[in-house]
Amino acid sequence: MTSRGAARPNGQSQASKICQFKLVLLGESAVGKSSLVLRFVKGQFHEYQESTIGAAFLTQSVCLDDTTVKFEIWDTAGQERYHSLAPMYYRGAQAAIVVYDITNQETFARAKTWVKELQRQASPSIVIALAGNKADLASKRMVEYEEAQAYADDNSLLFMETSAKTAMNVNDLFLAIAKKLPKSEPQSTSGAAGRSRGVDLHEQSQQNKSQCCSN
Amino acid sequence: MGASTFFASALPHDVCGSNGLPLTPNSIKILGRFQILKTITHPRLCQYVDITRGKHERLVVAAEHCEKSLEDLLRESKPVSSSRILCIAYEVLQGLQYMNKHGMVHRALSPCNILLDRKGHVKLAKFGLYHMTAQGVDVDFPIGYPSYLAPEVIAQGMVKPSDHTQCEKPLPSGPKSDLWSLGIILFELCMGRKLFQSLEIAERLKFIIMLGCVDDIVTVLAEEHGCLDIIKDLSENIIALLKKCLTFQPSKRPTAEELLHDSLFGEVSSVYPPFHKPAGLFSSSPRCANLTLPEDISQLCKDEDGDYLAERSIEEVYYLWCLAGGDLEKELVNKEIIRSKPPVCTLPNFLLEDGESFGQGRDRSSLLDDTTVTLSLCQLRNRLKDVGGEAFYPLLEDDQSTLSHSNSSNELSAAASLPLIIRERDTEYQLNRIVLFDRLLKAYPYKKNQIWREARVDIPPLLRGITWAALLGVEGAIQAKYDAIDKDTPIPTDRQIEVDIPRCHQYDELLSSPEGHAKFRRVLKAWVVSHPDLVYWQGLDSLCAPFLYLNFNNEALAYACMSAFIPKYLYNFFLKDNSHVIQEYLTVFSQMIAFHDPELSNHLNEIGFIPDLYAIPWFLTMFTHVFPLHKIFHLWDTLLLGNSSFPFCIGVAILQQLRDRLLANGFNECILLFSDLPEIDIERCVRESINLFRWTPKSATYRQYAQPPRQASESNGTRSSMSCFSADYQEAPRSDLSRDSIKLDDLKAEVSPRISAEDLIDLCELTGPSHSKTPVKKTKSSKPKLLVVDIRNSEDFNRGHISGSINVPFASAFTAEGDLVQCPATATLQSFKGRVVVIVGNAVKNTAAFAAHLVKNKYPRVCILDGGINKIKPTGLLTVPSPQI
Repeated sequence: MTSRGAARPNGQSQASKICQFKLVLLGESAVGKSSLVLRFVKGQFHEYQESTIGAAFLTQSVCLDDTTVKFEIWDTAGQERYHSLAPMYYRGAQAAIVVYDITNQETFARAKTWVKELQRQASPSIVIALAGNKADLASKRMVEYEEAQAYADDNSLLFMETSAKTAMNVNDLFLAIAKKLPKSEPQSTSGAAGRSRGVDLHEQSQQNKSQCCSN
Repeated sequence: MGASTFFASALPHDVCGSNGLPLTPNSIKILGRFQILKTITHPRLCQYVDITRGKHERLVVAAEHCEKSLEDLLRESKPVSSSRILCIAYEVLQGLQYMNKHGMVHRALSPCNILLDRKGHVKLAKFGLYHMTAQGVDVDFPIGYPSYLAPEVIAQGMVKPSDHTQCEKPLPSGPKSDLWSLGIILFELCMGRKLFQSLEIAERLKFIIMLGCVDDIVTVLAEEHGCLDIIKDLSENIIALLKKCLTFQPSKRPTAEELLHDSLFGEVSSVYPPFHKPAGLFSSSPRCANLTLPEDISQLCKDEDGDYLAERSIEEVYYLWCLAGGDLEKELVNKEIIRSKPPVCTLPNFLLEDGESFGQGRDRSSLLDDTTVTLSLCQLRNRLKDVGGEAFYPLLEDDQSTLSHSNSSNELSAAASLPLIIRERDTEYQLNRIVLFDRLLKAYPYKKNQIWREARVDIPPLLRGITWAALLGVEGAIQAKYDAIDKDTPIPTDRQIEVDIPRCHQYDELLSSPEGHAKFRRVLKAWVVSHPDLVYWQGLDSLCAPFLYLNFNNEALAYACMSAFIPKYLYNFFLKDNSHVIQEYLTVFSQMIAFHDPELSNHLNEIGFIPDLYAIPWFLTMFTHVFPLHKIFHLWDTLLLGNSSFPFCIGVAILQQLRDRLLANGFNECILLFSDLPEIDIERCVRESINLFRWTPKSATYRQYAQPPRQASESNGTRSSMSCFSADYQEAPRSDLSRDSIKLDDLKAEVSPRISAEDLIDLCELTGPSHSKTPVKKTKSSKPKLLVVDIRNSEDFNRGHISGSINVPFASAFTAEGDLVQCPATATLQSFKGRVVVIVGNAVKNTAAFAAHLVKNKYPRVCILDGGINKIKPTGLLTVPSPQI
């Protein structure tokens, strides 16, 4: 089921083009956001993956034909209370993965509200993927595949059921996102992109930053 | 002290629980359930001390142990006297009654685990096995001895369903089953021989079940064993006792409690004074309520070469025994209780991909070894042979402690300078620390100040839980308070708590046990319910972990400590809308980085690596989310001695430890570094935080959203005597010279922290106007602590300035490139680089900008005077040069 061969992440880039994209993971707590990232970036899985407070940051690249797509991944805290921090992570993101747990209907409802918020507040060109995680627990399924697929179609989201535990569809998901992202302007150096990535707390602090840099 | 071992049943491979997580190993479950046994203290029960896990679900239990048991009495093969039997029965019943009171059943009572101490009194052993194995569910061997099993226990069946998915547990045995066992044992003592010896086990069980059909069980048993004549000679009391115990129907059988109050013990019971559990340290009842002194006090001083070690609690002795090289498993291996086969003989014949193996079935006979190995204290005594008696009874009132300078106390003070890691493993040093802390804590809160003083040296790990509680000022009826909180009614936060607990410090055996999870849940819920103005933020679970771990058997204390810790260090962090608190906190932290390490601060600001991105989990959980427990303990040992601004220094110290890597890298690498925080040397971190703290003017970390000063009634005299390290800036009385609150945005715009006029006066050692009219330096200290830089124009400066300050007018201080213009004044400034530099001016904007320029030029410890020169003017502390000409 795992298709690792197709797009081995972190493959040595013989590709000429390097594109950097900021990707953010959103979703209710304990649906497996950190586990998905950990599986994608390090190929690991921890049963007792600790909760994320604030956010965590990781990077990973995938090779697509002649392009290397480098993801800068912001893995956010799931608890509703940390919601107020979320905008500073998804603002300026080119891609988002909204995760829910297929064994929990409430997490799917929460995923829908995240999608709505992204459609309203994030960059209009953002690529949104919906991931139904914990597919290995199919016997406990509470969210039907068809239901989620239909929802994804209606909102033109990428959709896959994944399992961070078995690695099912994890790389494929990131690969699918990479394919969908526009790779028009080649970014040879990371310096230029550097300014725009990071995280902007408020537009205002962004200004401050540029001010102090010009000094 | 003795050790014994058994195996928990192994779980099938590759089976997951309903939540998709692997099942908790049975040994972990047992380990969690075992903990409460450590609190069951009664003279008739062997004190449980410790449990450790070995390979293949092996568990080793350490408990109080006596060499002799009723088995030895029986071996003498002669009837025991009636009076002795009554005493034994009474003592066993006392033990059983106490267990029952704590909801426990022995189930495996037999002559071999009714031990006799040196004075011949009964001590029940192995009484916790049934409890810790969840009534035998978690082990593959039956609990109990065939001859002594009550008929109802046999009827329910001893055989466990081998299929784990089937959840048909046998009904747990009630406390009355133990009475039957006692009856049989007493019968044996009367006869002076064992019963049912001629019968096969199956026959035995059948025979016991059959006793239901007879009228007079005692007579039938006697008949069967050909000892009717002995029965006839028994006293009426004994016959009555046997009959009561050996009642076939459990409903008609008395409980231990009932039997103890039976008239047949009328004479015996008067000999035994009622048992009072010594009041715990944090209980509300007076600790000396049951204190009795012998009539002749001089008796207490009699035993000159007493065995002082024997007077310490078994928990302490065991702890020291381990430090002195004791190893439970090794002891059992030496006595061949643990036999290991060469690995090549244990290889499976056939192995599935998922790890399931076939062939090499476990030898079932080794699942439980009933032998208890006595742990020898020789090694420990040898280690402590040079420790004088006075070490066990240190004088607390003796402040100089120079009076009796024995050899060992000299060594001791030398040991105090060794690295913490060595001190914590040194048997003799720990003995001294434990004895000292034990005595001090017993006198808490009276000895609070001395506890603080000693805690500054170090805290003995064995007593860390209660020492922390003392440092946090926990007092009062904590148990009653905790009990009064509703921890059961569902609340909306339940789901969040439920998903967080199985992810919180789960590498630890205690916290990952089901017992640990249940305790976690209760303590967290108790906190949430009892703090309606605050809410559960993810991270609170991590914060709870150290307290729960240290007070695993005292949830109320864990709760009380957490409730005392949060307002002190995390005031309002758990507000529903906490953004203003956190934002201010992180801004002050940024200023602290700039204050202590301008180069690093410049770099981090340049790459946009702001504290918001990495420091929220640090401070929100006071580092419990980023460090493993053993590191948290050492960090918090010091944190608890500091005030609420100490965490800033810890944060800066962590950054400095990673300084080189941070400086060499850009944004991505830096943030990656913190997503997976590398090994931090905690001792070094603690040392450096203390140093940073010393260099930080108190008011520099002023926060308007910090905890407001407490009511005068609450802060009674004891607090003030604690050192300045622990007192909060906020707690000092406010005056005109204190810091004023400013808007968050203004605060954010300033790179360097402000300090109050008070602090400045204090640091400059300027004398107040009451002393003399012309301010002079109090002492001619060789090194001034700080340099005041007055950035007003020279005219203003000449009209009056702070004594010792230099004048560097802002307008002409910096070149276009932002470098300092060379002149005599700036040369002085340069010579002070490294010490505290306070910028004083008229306009806030200029002072802040001046400070920012200095930070850019890598000047450390730059701060600005809050309110500027105008704050100082009314004090009359300005130097006005005498008119010239």
